[in-house]
Amino acid sequence: MNQSILFLLRRLGFYLMAAFAALTLNFFIPRLMPGDPATIIFARFRGKLKPEAIDALRETFGLNDASLIDQYFSYLKSILSGDLGISIAYFPQEVSSVISGALMWTVFLAGTSLIISFFIGTLLGTIIGWNRNSKLDSLLPPTLAFIGAFPYFWLAMLMLYLFGFKFDFFPLGHAYSADVSPGFNLAFILSVIHHAFLPALTMVLVSLGGWMLSMRNTLISTLGADYITFAHAKGLSKRRIMIKYAARNAILPNLTGFGMALGFVLSGALLTEIIFSYPGQGYLLLQSVKSQDFPLMQGLFMTITLAVLLANWLVDIAILLFDPRTRK
Amino acid sequence: MINKTKNSILKRWARGIFRVKKALIGLYLIGGFIFISVIGPLFAKDPIAFLGTPLSPPSLEFLFGTNGQGQDVFAQTVAGARQTLFVGFSTGFLVVIIGAIIGGCSGYFGGRTDDLLSFLINIFLVMPGLPLMVILASWLPPGPGTLIGVLVLTGWAWNARVIRSQMMTYRNRDFVSAAIVSGETNIRIIVIEIMPRMLSLLASSFIGASIYAIGAQVGLEFLGLGDVSSVTWGTNLYWASNDMALLTGSWWTFIPTGLSIALVSFGLTLINFGIDEATNPRLISERRWKKQVPQHLIEAGITPVMKTND
Amino acid sequence: MSLYLKFIIILIAGLIFQNCESEKKVGKRDGLIVYQEAQISWARNFNPLSPAGSTRWPTKCGIHEPLFIYNSMTASWVPWLAVNYKWNSDNTVLEMQTRKNVFWSDGKPFSAKDVAFTTQIKKKFKALDTRNSWEYLDKVTAINDSVVQYKFNRVNVPGFDALATQPIVPKHIWEKVEDPVKFLNPDPVGTGPFTEILRFDNQIWELGKNKNYWQKGKPHVEKLVFPTFPSNEQVTLALNSGKLDWAGAFIPAVERVFVEKNPEHHKYWFPLTGHTTFLYTNTKDKLLNNVEIRKAISYAIDRELVVKVGMYDYTEPASVTGVSGPMSVWHSPEIEKIEDWTKYSREKASKIFEKQGFKLNKKGYRLYPDGTPIELEIIIVSGWSDWIRSAQVVSQNLNKIGVKTKVKTYDFGAWISRMQKGDFQLSIGWTEKGSTPYNLYKGMMSPDYLKPLGEVADVNWHRFSSDKADILLKKYEQTSDEKEIERIIYELQKIFVESAPSIPLFAEASWAECNTTYFTNFPSAENPYGTLSPNYEHENLFLMLNVRPR
Repeated sequence: MNQSILFLLRRLGFYLMAAFAALTLNFFIPRLMPGDPATIIFARFRGKLKPEAIDALRETFGLNDASLIDQYFSYLKSILSGDLGISIAYFPQEVSSVISGALMWTVFLAGTSLIISFFIGTLLGTIIGWNRNSKLDSLLPPTLAFIGAFPYFWLAMLMLYLFGFKFDFFPLGHAYSADVSPGFNLAFILSVIHHAFLPALTMVLVSLGGWMLSMRNTLISTLGADYITFAHAKGLSKRRIMIKYAARNAILPNLTGFGMALGFVLSGALLTEIIFSYPGQGYLLLQSVKSQDFPLMQGLFMTITLAVLLANWLVDIAILLFDPRTRK
Repeated sequence: MINKTKNSILKRWARGIFRVKKALIGLYLIGGFIFISVIGPLFAKDPIAFLGTPLSPPSLEFLFGTNGQGQDVFAQTVAGARQTLFVGFSTGFLVVIIGAIIGGCSGYFGGRTDDLLSFLINIFLVMPGLPLMVILASWLPPGPGTLIGVLVLTGWAWNARVIRSQMMTYRNRDFVSAAIVSGETNIRIIVIEIMPRMLSLLASSFIGASIYAIGAQVGLEFLGLGDVSSVTWGTNLYWASNDMALLTGSWWTFIPTGLSIALVSFGLTLINFGIDEATNPRLISERRWKKQVPQHLIEAGITPVMKTND
Repeated sequence: MSLYLKFIIILIAGLIFQNCESEKKVGKRDGLIVYQEAQISWARNFNPLSPAGSTRWPTKCGIHEPLFIYNSMTASWVPWLAVNYKWNSDNTVLEMQTRKNVFWSDGKPFSAKDVAFTTQIKKKFKALDTRNSWEYLDKVTAINDSVVQYKFNRVNVPGFDALATQPIVPKHIWEKVEDPVKFLNPDPVGTGPFTEILRFDNQIWELGKNKNYWQKGKPHVEKLVFPTFPSNEQVTLALNSGKLDWAGAFIPAVERVFVEKNPEHHKYWFPLTGHTTFLYTNTKDKLLNNVEIRKAISYAIDRELVVKVGMYDYTEPASVTGVSGPMSVWHSPEIEKIEDWTKYSREKASKIFEKQGFKLNKKGYRLYPDGTPIELEIIIVSGWSDWIRSAQVVSQNLNKIGVKTKVKTYDFGAWISRMQKGDFQLSIGWTEKGSTPYNLYKGMMSPDYLKPLGEVADVNWHRFSSDKADILLKKYEQTSDEKEIERIIYELQKIFVESAPSIPLFAEASWAECNTTYFTNFPSAENPYGTLSPNYEHENLFLMLNVRPR
């Protein structure tokens, strides 16, 4: 057991170092971009500002002339105290409040899509991995692969147009409809599901093939293992072998993939959010890049990176718990 | 002895692939598109000239109709193939090279080198790709070079890790120990002994990376982060969306490019299936005994390992 | 398995039916649904003085109001919170008389003291002085409850514009605010027709009417509703399905995309604003510093094609004077006599290039006199697709006469940085605007704005100056006599057309759509009482007060 704890701690150490590297990168990249936010804002305004006014604005944005090193250390200090600064595009709102609202929706949409896709995909993969000669096995993988080959946004727009616009089955965007009030009531929950249906559907369709195939492949290699042959020889029912032994072991490598994908949930929904006007982080990121809103960009990048690292670490723990072989 | 193994591996490989139907279809698809991208622009109209009435449906004059600016969609689809495929395959190629070098060295040499390179790989793996892509693509001057650079930077780590673990398994095999003992240099071992065996892995890495590159590239260009005055599949979709393709019912500005992208990705995926079936020993033997054993006796789940004479 | 399947089918059917039901509320709509800003999520910021420009629309032109509103349709100033103004004899003191019987939305009376306070707070907090008013102001005081006196430190009659259009904030609230630059003003108090925040979620917010509004009986609409629309595509979808009543979006092929879906109620109006979009030519460039070459480039441009391909024929080629549409009243009567270099002529363009010494090489491309090939670049902001298309046409036009030209896109930050530093050759951009062409010609030719290459210039990106124009511009600032103003503008126009500091490309149009199913009395070409577009601050107040539910 000590070995496993040591292993986890070593992994944690790695994640902390990765976080540090990411934060440093996060600091430098926006500053290397041409143009600075203050200039852009004046330009947008097209107002003639006196030098004092420009400087006053720069001060308010924290774009002072302190050396890069000083700025870096004050940046680190504020990150550690949870102060992500003030957004420029949404001035003077704080970055943390701008992000927190959006974060919730991205996690909801991308998270549920991922879970559904993984669940269905793994199930399908088990079925066709087991019945390798069935019609399903020759039909499903190419079909799902073909659907997944379309650019995601292309499929999303097509579905939005067909089911949202032409047939009016689903709403055109947003996370919930205007006539329900957010809260823990049935109308709101139904409205949320209704609005999330199309975006989630497109996300699931595109990624389904991937999960199915990887499960199928790991299942095939697992099936060749000796203990499976032994179980057959012993006369255990096929169903039991499939679920209790084969699938259970085959799913382990896929869980790693799932864990990593979980971390990327925060960043992956960008195109979905834009097409479906879903109020999540992805769109915020695009906007922060376009308006060179350094604090917001950094805040978003940081939350995403930390989420990925956290997810990875949780997966490490999960694998340790579920796969006895790693506990050695 | 060395030459013989390399030749026989390649030959077996090539034979195997061409026997798999899926891979053949994929190869035809990809070959077709490459052919079109090279030859097509010579026969099609000028893609950027404003030739016809905007948003007119397909006709004899304009096979795929015209887009919102009156440009020939067919010419644009054909012309767009070039840069999209070029960026896609270049990225795939670079990703495999970098992955092979870094992953290979890391897996082969082990120790300190492995710790350092693994750390590097893991950092890049954990970095959120899409946001980084968006940020870099909007900062750097637009163009194919930027796209390749950004895609390679965000995509090399995954293949490197896979190559690394494969390298580690080979490292401990007998033929490598034998080579070391007989005094072969490390470079020679890596390049001559091990790499040929990893051919299928490298090939499917190349294909996987190319699929990723084509998809990500098109996505970035759709967001307007590519060079919008160039003609590529991604920018074609960008303009189609800007011109409200679906709302005006102008499906022809949208569908051909989307289909082309899907067919190329799908073709590549098929080739990958094919490589897998051609080189995975379990699947090879499976094809063989399936022919010999009657259908009703095929017990689901049992995969006998057969001896073969290759 | 079958049970699960049934459950899923029922769920999907339920969702579909739910949608059909909830959208059946036809007939009446209690709030006017508006699109003006592209956002994915709302931030609660109602500070009209904020320099950062991230306040919710219509904070400055709906919640708060200005002293005068310039109606571009009638080309006149409309008294609003002020009823008249007066200059003293030597134009050094401006007095404005404020309207009586106006109340803030919290019931307290509005007075000249609020106006003086608003102006003074911009002196105290320099970051708020975005129009740079205190450059020419010396002192501002409220002589009594209804007269504000502005003492100027130098004669600057055009300075009236910035003072007249200032949104006024209540003194009794803002004098208690510690940092008005960062103040969010979450529960605004204003004099405008809509001031009550009825609802504020990150996806939708609602602005209810002001019960104490000074125009009795108005507004007729109960509230304004703002859902989020992050992209043009979403706006168009919403307009088409009747889920938007009023929008200011650029819609390509608007007849086919919007009007055809419901010709009775889907209306749009893209009138010319009078201003012009320019092709900026960097006059410090070794090719473009030659005025004949600039005119030649202008001759080479097929403006009809630019307008057709780039702007869907929504606008028209520019006038050589730089103003058109409602501002055509400022066309000098002499203008017929001056050479019009905006009329498309490839022959004239090629001839001028030949005459100036830029000959064609064997491949058909022009060279500098020293033999180096000419290569021009037009830079555009990525994402501004209409200008990108227009630039592509221009570049094709120039290539046809042998001048090798390319289009390059940059992200807005990089683009504006280049323009301001003069690091470009050609680009497309907006110009300075005002109630007369003074602002345009000042921005085009005044040495006041001339900065050397490499230094940041907010205006006059093309780095041109004319001393003759300077004299006239200074004269303009000194006078308030209408005849004199007219004469000066005609003179400036002549200099502008003779020296071609940059190239007028096409007239500017304003974008506006409306849906008359639930509301009526929108402005239109038949009833032009104001602009239909929500994108023109203060003018949109006319629409807000006259629109009524059916």
